[in-house]
Amino acid sequence: MTNLTRRHFLAQTVTGAAAFAQLSGLPTHPAKAKRIIYLFQSGGPSQLESFDYKPELVKHAGKDLPESVRKGQRLTAMSATQLAFPMVASKFGFQQHGKSGAWVSELFPHTAKVIDDLCIVRSLHTEAINHDPAVTFLQTGSQIAGRPSFGAWISYGLGAETKELPAFCVLISPGQGGSGQPLYDRLWGSGFLPTRYQGIKFRSVGDPVLYLSDPAGYTRDDRRTYLDGLNALNKEQLEATGDPEISTRMAQYEMAFRMQASVPELTDLSKEPESSLSLYGPDVKKPGTFAANCLLARRLAERGVRFIQLYHRDWDHHGGLVAGMPKRALETDQPAAGLLQDLKQRGMLDDTLVVWGGEFGRTVYCQGRLTATEYGRDHHPRCFTVWMAGGGVKPGMVYGETDDFSYNIVKDPVHVHDFQATLLHLLGVDHTKLTYKFQGRHFRLTDVHGHVVKELLA
Amino acid sequence: MPLLVLAALATTVAAVDFNRDVRPILSDRCYPCHGPDGGNRKTAMRLDDEAAAKSQLKSKKFPIVAGKPDDSEIYKRIITDSPGLRMPPAYNGHPKLDAKAIATIKQWIEEGATYQSHWSFIPPKRQSNQNIDRLVRARLEAMGMKPSPQASKETLIRRVSFDLTGLPPTPEETADFVDGKVTYEQVVDRLLASPRYAERMAIRWLEAARYADTNGYQTDGVRDMYRYRDWVIEAFDKNQPFDKFSIEQIAGDMLPNATLNQKIASAFHRNHRTTAEGGIVDEEWRVEYVADRAETTSTVFLGLTFGCARCHDHKYDPLKQKEFYSLFAFFNNVPEKGFVYNFGNERPLIKAPTPPQQQMWSQLKADRDRAKQNWLNVQPRVDAAQRKWEAKIAKGNTDWTSTDKLELDAHLFTDTKFDGKRVVNYGETTAKFNHRDPYTMSVWVKPETRDGAILTRTEDYMEGTGYGLYVMNGKLRYHYNFRWTDLGMRVESKQDLKQGEWQHITVTYDGGMYTEGVHLYIDGKEVEMNVLFNSNLWPMSHKAPLRLGQGAGLDFKGEIRNPRIWSREMSAREVSAIALNDTLSAIAAKKDRTPAEQAKLDLAYREQYLPAELEAFQTAARKAQEDLDKFEAKLPTVMVMEEGPQRDAFVLVRGAYDNHGEKVSPATPAALHAWKPEWPRNRLGLAQWITSRDNPLTARVTVNRFWQMLFGTGLVKTVEDFGSQGEIPVQQDLLDWLAVEFMDNGWNVKGILKTIVMSETYKQSSKVPADNRDPENRLLARGPRGRLSSEMIRDQALAVSGLLVEKQGGPSVKPYQPKGLWQELTSGEEYKPDKGEGLYRRSLYSYWRRTIAPPSMVNFDSATREVCTVRENRTNTPLQALNLMNDETYLEASRKLAERVIQDPAPLERAFLLTLGRRPSAKEKQILETSFAKFQQRFSNDTQAAEKLLAIGESKTQSNAKPADLAALMSVASMILNLDEAITKQ
Repeated sequence: MTNLTRRHFLAQTVTGAAAFAQLSGLPTHPAKAKRIIYLFQSGGPSQLESFDYKPELVKHAGKDLPESVRKGQRLTAMSATQLAFPMVASKFGFQQHGKSGAWVSELFPHTAKVIDDLCIVRSLHTEAINHDPAVTFLQTGSQIAGRPSFGAWISYGLGAETKELPAFCVLISPGQGGSGQPLYDRLWGSGFLPTRYQGIKFRSVGDPVLYLSDPAGYTRDDRRTYLDGLNALNKEQLEATGDPEISTRMAQYEMAFRMQASVPELTDLSKEPESSLSLYGPDVKKPGTFAANCLLARRLAERGVRFIQLYHRDWDHHGGLVAGMPKRALETDQPAAGLLQDLKQRGMLDDTLVVWGGEFGRTVYCQGRLTATEYGRDHHPRCFTVWMAGGGVKPGMVYGETDDFSYNIVKDPVHVHDFQATLLHLLGVDHTKLTYKFQGRHFRLTDVHGHVVKELLA
Repeated sequence: MPLLVLAALATTVAAVDFNRDVRPILSDRCYPCHGPDGGNRKTAMRLDDEAAAKSQLKSKKFPIVAGKPDDSEIYKRIITDSPGLRMPPAYNGHPKLDAKAIATIKQWIEEGATYQSHWSFIPPKRQSNQNIDRLVRARLEAMGMKPSPQASKETLIRRVSFDLTGLPPTPEETADFVDGKVTYEQVVDRLLASPRYAERMAIRWLEAARYADTNGYQTDGVRDMYRYRDWVIEAFDKNQPFDKFSIEQIAGDMLPNATLNQKIASAFHRNHRTTAEGGIVDEEWRVEYVADRAETTSTVFLGLTFGCARCHDHKYDPLKQKEFYSLFAFFNNVPEKGFVYNFGNERPLIKAPTPPQQQMWSQLKADRDRAKQNWLNVQPRVDAAQRKWEAKIAKGNTDWTSTDKLELDAHLFTDTKFDGKRVVNYGETTAKFNHRDPYTMSVWVKPETRDGAILTRTEDYMEGTGYGLYVMNGKLRYHYNFRWTDLGMRVESKQDLKQGEWQHITVTYDGGMYTEGVHLYIDGKEVEMNVLFNSNLWPMSHKAPLRLGQGAGLDFKGEIRNPRIWSREMSAREVSAIALNDTLSAIAAKKDRTPAEQAKLDLAYREQYLPAELEAFQTAARKAQEDLDKFEAKLPTVMVMEEGPQRDAFVLVRGAYDNHGEKVSPATPAALHAWKPEWPRNRLGLAQWITSRDNPLTARVTVNRFWQMLFGTGLVKTVEDFGSQGEIPVQQDLLDWLAVEFMDNGWNVKGILKTIVMSETYKQSSKVPADNRDPENRLLARGPRGRLSSEMIRDQALAVSGLLVEKQGGPSVKPYQPKGLWQELTSGEEYKPDKGEGLYRRSLYSYWRRTIAPPSMVNFDSATREVCTVRENRTNTPLQALNLMNDETYLEASRKLAERVIQDPAPLERAFLLTLGRRPSAKEKQILETSFAKFQQRFSNDTQAAEKLLAIGESKTQSNAKPADLAALMSVASMILNLDEAITKQ
């Protein structure tokens, strides 16, 4: 069998999530990370209140952002009609932590404790200034919807390590009490790649995977009886027609049957020891919270899932940042730090890459009402902070610098495409080699751009 | 193409053919740097242009010397082992051409290195005395292959029924055909004449047209485009010729005396996604919409990936970036915005009544006209009566203000002083209007400040949500904000309000969300306005009360009296009347009255003093108008194309909306057929250019999609790309024959489909031979075989179970969907499935929310409706298995199928026959019976389980059978619906 037909055969017969099937030529080099857990903070968490400490701002508070800094930068239509642009300093205090001495705001005390595991990039920048195009850009490499998502690229390129679960899983949590920016199925869609590469959403209400549960009144034995009959009939048809698609379909029904057992086992946290539960904080026992999802992410990682995408919503603090951001931090800080500790204790952090960050940063100037106790910040594409840990990135590192206003990057900028290229590199994939021909063009996650940021590699 | 077939092709052909053999290599491996994209060409050398490729370079070398590979630079460079010289560039990591490609290039140069125009740019020629079967069989013979025998009649009627109507045949239809009561042609004619045919054709077209019920993008607001869907169904039903069908969708609005239907057709190019995300830059997204139209047009009608030329010249095809923006220019004149309304259709839109509604509408208009005329006819009597009344009241002290929808009339005549601290609060519920409610607010003011709040219902800071009348910068201001930054209306009078003097001010708003529907009046006279901000509004809920002298962070210094608010938009004449200080009696006493004074008398008399006999005429006229208004407000609308003032179009450098390059005018690509002088240089001309007989692409692209629809794969597999990166047609003579046949017969869609399904090629058995040389069946030695599309799978389950509700057209419906899907992604409103018939309509009517598409459709590879999609995909996944086994839709259908057959003497066989169109074999029967027996045993032991199973689905169980029997039969029915054969067209 040639590579092509072998690949076709495997992709068609094993899981539909293309278990085992890797694109020929991949990986292009030994992988440091076998998998990614991406803790996406949707809405754009403020770098100014988290990891990009700007003590000088106190002096400028209330003054308009100087034009020499803004340099005609385009604004969202929300700021464009704003009456003034008063700068505002973080209401939250910062301290240095760990051996790296990285500054972390008081909103993230647990993250501060694992700071020496983190590789913080303060100089990520993007091209989009609104949520939809910005999230889409980060997740698909293009602002305009239609391209495959990061996880779909990975499952297409690297296949799965498990027969029981899809290669690309998605977990979503809302900001509690908040509403947050909507998400959309295409963020984990397969774009122009075949649909079997799309992310499978694990849900906290109803079936964890859509249509997973047998109907009321059915036992596992009933389903077995059913499948035995179905298989026997399909086999008759296979013999009559010779269509190999039928044997694939029979295999898919068996895979579905196995998933019906493996998924509930996966989502059943009752056997997790208290010692690991406590790492994730008190929310861990509430299904659908970020904490519960972080623990599920670890369990998915253990079972060989390649790309685990979490979304936590409601970081979009145009106003009410002082009241709102601590709530989001509280929901995410301990679970994210707990996940790192848990992975580390299990020896999985070395080959699991964890990423934390949103789609853009926030402006130094206030948006909406500036009062003595409250303010908001608009979207800011020119700089934002993400952190990574494990999976071959340099621990205890702080990379990139912004100016005194956290407005422009002054050192080591990292474009979204560079960031994507770097993550792919850690997975053992040269980002220029992971391509798919569609409409006559060889498409890539990084479009025609992107450079691996070597400084971030361990 | 499968490797085996490719290899076979190569062995049968001696001479190298440029288009078939060489262009794919040059295109894929050389054109990125030496091709049509001027911006990206690495050197002066280009290989896409024959003259250039054979001319001497500055280096004195020749890229290609015909007949002499060893003197040809390109050949030397592809065979060299020197990494610094080898092309494609070894130093950039590109792999070497394989031996076969090198041999092909060598042979091509040896044979003279002849170029050909790209195959699809050469118009197809008529081939006389040909047909599908002759062409297919000649080719098979050349390949040493034989066609398959005809499929069994049971198989054939099921195949053709799905292909032409999307639904299976009934056992009776099958029996009639099998027994020879009807011929195959009669079956085909019946199917083509069925209304189901139009629905089946519509779904694929709607996917190409990126039709959906929501806007897409982040906020994903609702839209209402079903009248366009109705139009598509009707067009297929009436077998509208494809050229007309195309023209009306591209430019129906521009046809002379365009009919309502032609305007509705133009909604095709308003189906693209739109956004209402706060903060987006309007122009950036408007440009995106125009680009989408250009790209969709080229995909659907030309089969070209013109979108590739959006940022730079096309890398493979002779399409320049400038030409993309010249095509873009045709679609650039719609009076539209990038930032759209999030709660319904965005302008331009039209009312799009259905035929019965049109009839009703005419009726109501006639009723209104008649009632109005009757009322006009009695005006002399009214006037006479009014004059008597005037004389009577002239002596008294009577006054009047309109009480028609009066919401507030606060007298406040004496205590009028406002000192900057005083506020009069009318509470939260007074004059509580939402964004689509019309109203009129009027008040007398005597400002002693240049900035102050007069009458407001708004939050207490400048940017707050709500509406109000202000004095700002000395001028009269009206604000209606949802969100200060991007959702609201703000206007000011050009003239100043007079300081320290009493004036009457009024604002009227028509509920239309734009400043075009706002009027300001000072002392009863409309004043000119400056529009400061004008965008749509969102529905509001805020708790700010109605206040006098405060709002938006402002207070008021001066005097205010008698605020009045009506929940209707007053006319200018009414405003002139309510602005008068004089009482009715005072005016009645005057001999010379101003028009406003007369208006006050007229209006007051008609509102309050008419004798009953005359009042009846007024009431009737008014009621007729109200009935008409109410009816019109409920009529469906549809977003349509409209040609506004011409906007300049530019090449957008690197595709960026704000980076204008060269200015361009509407034009079509130079590589394609010429523009005729009689065509107008606008969208209508473009539509004529597209449907011109000279166009080498549209007919080919269209019949190729039909071929895909029937055979699973197009003759050109890349149905969306007929350019040089697309597949070369596996059998071009066949494609060309079909294209010419299609055009010669007046672009007759039913005609060409009938021609195909009547062919022996189509009717062959699809059984896969043991020595399968052609796994993808590209050479057509057997009939089509493949999984049914997503909507056919569901529609079949509804049909065979008897649940299907067949009703053509109308608004979208909401079938079952797992709970919580919307909520978990948006925190917004949850999906509410319909009750009753909405659960059982054909899937093309299912509500399609773009950002959260129906999972059971997406699981089976339906297009996402985000962008134009023409390629059909089929995958085979475990999620499909879970979906078919456990989705309420299929479980309910299984129960209903069981109920339908349980009285039958052989229920298992009957269910099998209903679904698959054939009787089970002995072996199959035995398997069915064994399964049934096991389930029957199991459910007899656990009736509760049986009852739980039978409770699934909204429809009631209408069988008196024992629960255990019915549940067992339901289980087997579900197995039948899950069979590979059930979801396969074979």
